[in-house]
Amino acid sequence: MVIYAIQRLLLSMIIIVVAVSLLNVMLHLVPGDPAVMVLGPRATPELIERTRLEMGLDRSMLVQLAMFFGNLLRGDMGTDIFTGREVSTIVMEALPYTLILITVSILWAMAIGIPLGCYSAVRRNSWLDRVTGVLSVATISIPAFVMALYGVLIFAVWLRWLPAIGAGETFAEQIRHLILPAFAVGVSWVGYIARVVRASMLEVMGENHVRMARAFGLREGRILTAHVLRIAVLPAVTLIGAGVAHLFSAAVFVEVIFARPGIGALIVGAVNERNYPIVLGAVLVTTGIIVLATLISDLVVAWLDPRLREEL
Amino acid sequence: MTTRTITLGRRGFLKSVAASGLAAGTMPLGTAIWAQSGTVLRAHSYADIDALDPGFYQNGYNVDVMNCIYSKLARYVPGREWEIELEAAEELEQVDDTHIRFKLKPGIMFTGGHGEMTAEDVKFSFERVLEHDSPVKGDWGPLERVDVTGKYEGTIVLTKPFEPLWLIAIPYGTGHIVSKKAVMEATEDGGNFGMTPPAFSGPYVLEEWKPNQYVHLTRNPDWTGPMPGFDEIRIIPMDDEKVAERAYESGDLDYTAITLSSLPSYKENPPANTTIEEYPSLYYVWLGMNLENPALGDINLRKAIQHAINIPQILDAAYSGVANPATGLIAPGLIGHREAPLVPVAGDLVKAREFLGMAGGAPDTPLTIDTLNATTWKTIAEVVQAQLGQIGIPVQINVQDSGSFWTLGMESEGDRWKDMQLVINRFSMLPDPYYATNWFTTEQVGIWNWERFSNPEFDRLHEAALSESDDEKRAAMYREMQDLMEETGAYRFITHEGSPVMFSDDIAPALRPDARPLYIGFKPDQA
Repeated sequence: MVIYAIQRLLLSMIIIVVAVSLLNVMLHLVPGDPAVMVLGPRATPELIERTRLEMGLDRSMLVQLAMFFGNLLRGDMGTDIFTGREVSTIVMEALPYTLILITVSILWAMAIGIPLGCYSAVRRNSWLDRVTGVLSVATISIPAFVMALYGVLIFAVWLRWLPAIGAGETFAEQIRHLILPAFAVGVSWVGYIARVVRASMLEVMGENHVRMARAFGLREGRILTAHVLRIAVLPAVTLIGAGVAHLFSAAVFVEVIFARPGIGALIVGAVNERNYPIVLGAVLVTTGIIVLATLISDLVVAWLDPRLREEL
Repeated sequence: MTTRTITLGRRGFLKSVAASGLAAGTMPLGTAIWAQSGTVLRAHSYADIDALDPGFYQNGYNVDVMNCIYSKLARYVPGREWEIELEAAEELEQVDDTHIRFKLKPGIMFTGGHGEMTAEDVKFSFERVLEHDSPVKGDWGPLERVDVTGKYEGTIVLTKPFEPLWLIAIPYGTGHIVSKKAVMEATEDGGNFGMTPPAFSGPYVLEEWKPNQYVHLTRNPDWTGPMPGFDEIRIIPMDDEKVAERAYESGDLDYTAITLSSLPSYKENPPANTTIEEYPSLYYVWLGMNLENPALGDINLRKAIQHAINIPQILDAAYSGVANPATGLIAPGLIGHREAPLVPVAGDLVKAREFLGMAGGAPDTPLTIDTLNATTWKTIAEVVQAQLGQIGIPVQINVQDSGSFWTLGMESEGDRWKDMQLVINRFSMLPDPYYATNWFTTEQVGIWNWERFSNPEFDRLHEAALSESDDEKRAAMYREMQDLMEETGAYRFITHEGSPVMFSDDIAPALRPDARPLYIGFKPDQA
């Protein structure tokens, strides 16, 4: 298990380096000049050229990339070309909002999706199973930003129950500001998780060890929770691990619609402004989180299913 | 949308500052009856602040905040007319073409124990823009120096006359006065202090800036001028105005600009307790043509394109019919605005075909239109594509993101400018015509002059108009310059758009004639 974890960590670092390098190539392939963006239209060509030199934009792409990783090893992610603030500070200001958003989104989706999937499997072909099936596919089909827009129109504009924008300041305000965005990001995951858990439950319920448990006279509730769900939930855990990237993508739209701070909104703005240090820093961090989430989900699966540990 | 043509000459200005100076001077502190306690203004801004040093400012959204936290000699007067009034100055007088004398009001204090504002601070604030080669030093034009003649008095000295100074330097970004002592302590060389103002001198201080969340301004305890209307101001940045509209409707904002596309529905069905007002805008949108691209080398082809374009049709499609056609670069209300363009706004298909015939027919390969990836711009490009199709000119649309688009015609960015043919463009400006024509001189070819228009007479007029103090003569020069541009066939002026806003009936906003907010003039509505 330890060797496996070390191997995965090394692989994760390689993935991060490759992702950031590819991004760097893409940034330099598309037209756009950070010096022009930062100085505005009235700067003289001489000033633009001088700023380019100061920003190191005259150097080759490889040299710039090497400088980025070199600085990174010293804990320096660079500075924002507009405000001069540390990139690490800016990213760490935005990151918690996104992490909270996607964590709450996935937690409430799991809290509803797993029981729904279980119930649908146990009461297969019941009216609730059918309704759940229809609703699951429906919610999966509706993009998060559409949910976000209608959530705002109904609960903020029409009913005025919840705020339409921002992240709130006090704890209570932050909870209120989180409800609609978390609903928008998480709702499609309820459907995903319910369908995966249902299918997995049905498969596991037909296996020998479950029939054996019934033959021994174990209570049905005990069989379902200890012998079926424990295994049936594994695909859902894997799905969530792999779905962190998808959650980040959904968060981008939702952060824009709710004018909510976060890493997604930060990256979108920085790409448009050709704010290379912010883009590289933010993508480095999000890539790291996605890789880490995948790693954690693999380890959780291994922990839940001892058979997999032996395969490591 | 109704606009009034107002011109502001030096004489008009002197008259207005004298009157407002008297008003400011006779208003005792604390007698501003609308100043309420415990009130918070929540307003939308289209972008988050990213520069708070006035000497190095970029973009109007930063200046909106600077207006609140620093003082300047004079400021814009809220209302429908472009006028300025005294702010930190007690007296402000143009002595001759190159000398402007000022006298500060005594008792304006910088926060943090940095003392009283003096003429030395004015000198420092204006001269550092030149000394540190600020990207916006052009706002001060031919500024040579500021002479200090007394504790509160001094003279701004120019190397040659520069009329735009009155409307784009003194009351705007670089006109804000910072504390010499505080800035020198913070930066050592007096350079850009970025996002951390070392001292404030306006009615508000920057209490907190949460990036991408809000700018929080609170009353300046050291402020000795008239009390502003609100205890606190929260400026909330939202790139997307549609998001701001929903936020307003949900009660999260007191004031926001609204999109032209939303205006008809808001006018028909306004949110409760809301006033909607329409203001003209200073933006100008046009279709440009690269004069040095071989496909557009024939003036008859360019004129065919000009005449094939029907502006009202574009405005119906892209602006829901609520924007007015532009007659040139310079918006209504400003010196040099033209009453009508040379090519009729509705175009003329018969003439378009005649010009196309003289050009030898439509090009064999499709022309390209480059445009930004914003819905309005794409719609303009699509309508132009359809209109040119009517006379047989095939067009292909290239949509680009902002980072790519805004360097399209720049020679410093490689050879992309050579391939650029037609382009939908939109510039903003400040309320002096110089700010519009400045980008189309020969000097700007390959920088911001993407059409690569070069005309010695245009360049001469541009220089001459800078020092022309007679408004009528100056206006005639700018009208002629726009004629010269249009005669090349390389420009089809589309619109100046518009600036509708909505606000709660619980507040009385203070807006510039182009609807930019002047927050220190906002007040709770007591009606």
